[in-house]
Amino acid sequence: MADETADQERRGFLKWLTAGFLALWAPAAGIMTASFLKPPEHGPRVGERMIRAGTLSSLAIGESRFVRHGLEPIFVVRLADQQVMAVSAVCTHMQCILHWNRDNSTFLCPCHDGVFDKTGNVLSGPPKKPLRQYSAEIRSDEIVVFT
Amino acid sequence: MSDAPRDTQTPPPDSRSWLERRVNLTEIASLLTVFGLLPAELDTRKPLREALGEALSQPMSYYERWPRLLGLLAFVLFLLLGATGILLAFYYQPTADAAYPSVVAIARDVSFGSLVHQVHAWASILFLFLLAFRVIRFFSIGLYGRGREIIWMVGVLAFVVATFTDLTGRLLPWDARGYWTTIRAREVIDALPLIGPIVTFLVGGKGLDSLILTRFYVLHIGGFPFVLLILFYLHFASIRRVGVPLPLDAAQKPRVGRALRIAGIDMILLVLLMLGVLLTFAIIVPIPFDVQADPFATPPNAHAPWYLLAPHAVLEAVPGLLPRFVRGLLLDGLLAGFLFLPFLDRSPGTGARNRAFLAAGLALLVIWVLLTWQGWFLEVSR
Amino acid sequence: MTAWRTMGRSAFATAIVAALAWTHGAHAQDSTKTAPAPDAPAPAAPSPAATSATPVAEKVVLPPPSPLHERASHPLAAVPTDSKPTKTTRMCGVCHSDIRVKFDKGIHKSEEIGCISCHGGNPDAITIAEAHRGSGYRGRPRRADIPALCGSCHSDVARMRPYQLPSDQFALYRTSAHGLALARGTMNAAVCTDCHGVHEIRPADDPLSMVARHNVPTTCGRCHGGNGDPARPATPGSPLADYKAGIHGHALLVGNNNAAPECANCHGSHATAQPGARDVDKVCGQCHGKVRSFFMSSPHRGAVRRGGHSDCAVCHGNHKTTRIAATAFEKTCDSCHKPGTPEGAVAGRIQTMLADASAQIDRARERVSRAEKIPLYVEDYQARLEDARTALMEAAPATHTVDTTAVEPHTRRARSIAAEVSREVDEKLKGRWWRYVGLGLFWFYLILTAAILLRWRRRAIARSTSVR
Ligand code: FES
Repeated sequence: MADETADQERRGFLKWLTAGFLALWAPAAGIMTASFLKPPEHGPRVGERMIRAGTLSSLAIGESRFVRHGLEPIFVVRLADQQVMAVSAVCTHMQCILHWNRDNSTFLCPCHDGVFDKTGNVLSGPPKKPLRQYSAEIRSDEIVVFT
Repeated sequence: MSDAPRDTQTPPPDSRSWLERRVNLTEIASLLTVFGLLPAELDTRKPLREALGEALSQPMSYYERWPRLLGLLAFVLFLLLGATGILLAFYYQPTADAAYPSVVAIARDVSFGSLVHQVHAWASILFLFLLAFRVIRFFSIGLYGRGREIIWMVGVLAFVVATFTDLTGRLLPWDARGYWTTIRAREVIDALPLIGPIVTFLVGGKGLDSLILTRFYVLHIGGFPFVLLILFYLHFASIRRVGVPLPLDAAQKPRVGRALRIAGIDMILLVLLMLGVLLTFAIIVPIPFDVQADPFATPPNAHAPWYLLAPHAVLEAVPGLLPRFVRGLLLDGLLAGFLFLPFLDRSPGTGARNRAFLAAGLALLVIWVLLTWQGWFLEVSR
Repeated sequence: MTAWRTMGRSAFATAIVAALAWTHGAHAQDSTKTAPAPDAPAPAAPSPAATSATPVAEKVVLPPPSPLHERASHPLAAVPTDSKPTKTTRMCGVCHSDIRVKFDKGIHKSEEIGCISCHGGNPDAITIAEAHRGSGYRGRPRRADIPALCGSCHSDVARMRPYQLPSDQFALYRTSAHGLALARGTMNAAVCTDCHGVHEIRPADDPLSMVARHNVPTTCGRCHGGNGDPARPATPGSPLADYKAGIHGHALLVGNNNAAPECANCHGSHATAQPGARDVDKVCGQCHGKVRSFFMSSPHRGAVRRGGHSDCAVCHGNHKTTRIAATAFEKTCDSCHKPGTPEGAVAGRIQTMLADASAQIDRARERVSRAEKIPLYVEDYQARLEDARTALMEAAPATHTVDTTAVEPHTRRARSIAAEVSREVDEKLKGRWWRYVGLGLFWFYLILTAAILLRWRRRAIARSTSVR
């Protein structure tokens, strides 16, 4: 009698084990599907990390240029004769795209009136963090920005 | 304890689960029988377990076993193609500029992307072969008369629509091979009276550009698969009406085989094996990537897909013998004749049919294979 | 044949002149009298062959007619029926219709330089005799006179200025090998018309012109074709065939690369001359400046000069210019330096360096294209391979120093970039082993599942038979 129950128990366990084993197909397929659907890293490739931002000579000193690039456009500002600087054109508050205010060399956000100076520091408004800066270089009259 | 049963008669102690008391699971499961995945009827009034148990212990006719698994395997493949296709559609972009990069991105950057892509490609090859083989089998044992007309016509149409699905799919990656295969295939299809204009109308023109790619895409993921689904449904519905074929000798009683349960296990084993083979092919013999299509550079060896090689040979071989239009008509007539074969061959019985038809059909098959070889010779080994 | 043509032509001319006379009414009587009888060829009407052949009296070996001038071989057939005598050919074109057709295609027509500018005569006359009698009628100019004749306009600075054309061609020509030969009395030395065409003179930038870049080799080859052809004795050897087989000819004629040099780029055009052995480096250096400067710094320069060889041509040939493959180095150097010698060893070392680098690049390229078909991400690798190829290309000019230390940095760079690329792609390719592991795992799981199913199946069969 005791033998039989033990036997039955073992059978029950075996059955459970088998069912569990077979059921593994489902999570396996699920995991594969999920990892397929997970968007791949679409970070910029090496080649895309170098942005050609036009010639230096066509940019007046103290003037800025809007560079469309990916989802994060960039402002290139010519600070001095041989000095350029690149800041993100995306507001750090709610990701609106900034406008360049030529008159007082500031970036103005159209969404909640955030104001940044030309090097990206917050002057006023809701944004807390300064704008992201990129390194920019001048290569024989061409402005090159590295992201 | 206050809530007394509202019904005056307490229902008999219910073996149904919580879920089953709310949803008729049996009805859902009967979808399997609608598409022939389960060659039996489920009593939808009974709980799932009971209904299934009943159905599975029904004996199965000996003749109900392997041959019908062909259509079933094709349907499983259709489901697999649908599933992988939906996954691919998550990343695919149907415009001329974005298509190729997006397919490369699927195969390169997405995890399991290459696998899904390759399985989709290999499954389509297998799918076509299964459908073709099914039609050949129907023909060779004469399964097309006396009540089986619809099954036959659906079988032929399913193959034709599947080739269209395959053809539209070949263009989607916008790689050189696919692009020029499509061009060469259009050359054959456009030569067919009636079919050519219809196809041109459907895909929206004779050229190949971004707009037409989008149409190919819609036809590939929506139009043709939907038609295929209807055809599959019609096939299984008709089978349910007229039953499985009787043994060749009508006087011989069908041998009663084992319970459906066992046949079901056989079927699952077969599907598993097919999956295994498919995956192995997808991993060990992946179909290599080609470069992006350049509409201004025809690669050498651009040729129509294999199922159009024979028509191509009919259109091209022995130039000057017949005008192209007549050759096109001939091909159209052949297809129509094949489609309406049950109405041409009125000999009785479901077993071996009119010997003359059988001989003619088999001769045609041999000629077809030879022409395919000839088409291959004309196109590829030039 | 010629007689028939001539006869037919003169008959035709008579007919036209008669027709014209009919329209002119007043001259009708006169012209019918002067017109020669149809069976007697007009004395001055040249046979069609004569337009490209010189009278027998001059006894010169003739250049074969240029294919460009073969267009209107049958004078009557070639005249478009609706074409009328133009203003500049005037009446001359009535009889000389084949020449008129050619002339009409040339540049002189649009500048209103007519027949009489070179041939004299009266273009308005309506009788043949009168036409050939007019002011300063010259007929066919003598070969020896042709350069001066052309020069009478083309050396005139004032006349050439509006066209932005040079005016020194005649002066240059007189210093050229052709001009000097002509002055010595060699009558088959090339004159203006041999290269520019006789009547159908097209500007040099017209692709149909005989002096258009891609036509120059054929034009020069009419005399300098060589190959022992007695009709082309001007040059020993076979410069034309050699040029076509060489890298320059291939680039220009097959590759349609208009930057590739034709004959005149090395030999000059109006001032043609053979570059002297000492000047070959300068001629080649016009384009291959870097190579030349490397060569000048090498010990070869002095040695080649002392031996009286022509610099570049020693290894690269003159007309059949060849690029020396990385694998053909030793063989080329072999002609002067035997393999055992220290100089031969240098050649061997340079060859090894080049061959190693190019083999390494080939290996890497094979790997990259394999990865591309899978596809893996290869754009970076392709860019780096391009770098390696550039480095190898930089090594080629450096080999002219015959200094291994000058070549080595380039080949080392090429080799190391390519090796790095191969290694990385290899790693990526090998890194795909997990696919096979996954496949194995899948089959393992599949077989276990199948085993379980088979067990169930067996049990189901056992149960059904026991029930029965
Ligand atoms: S988003 Fe720029 S201030 Fe709010």
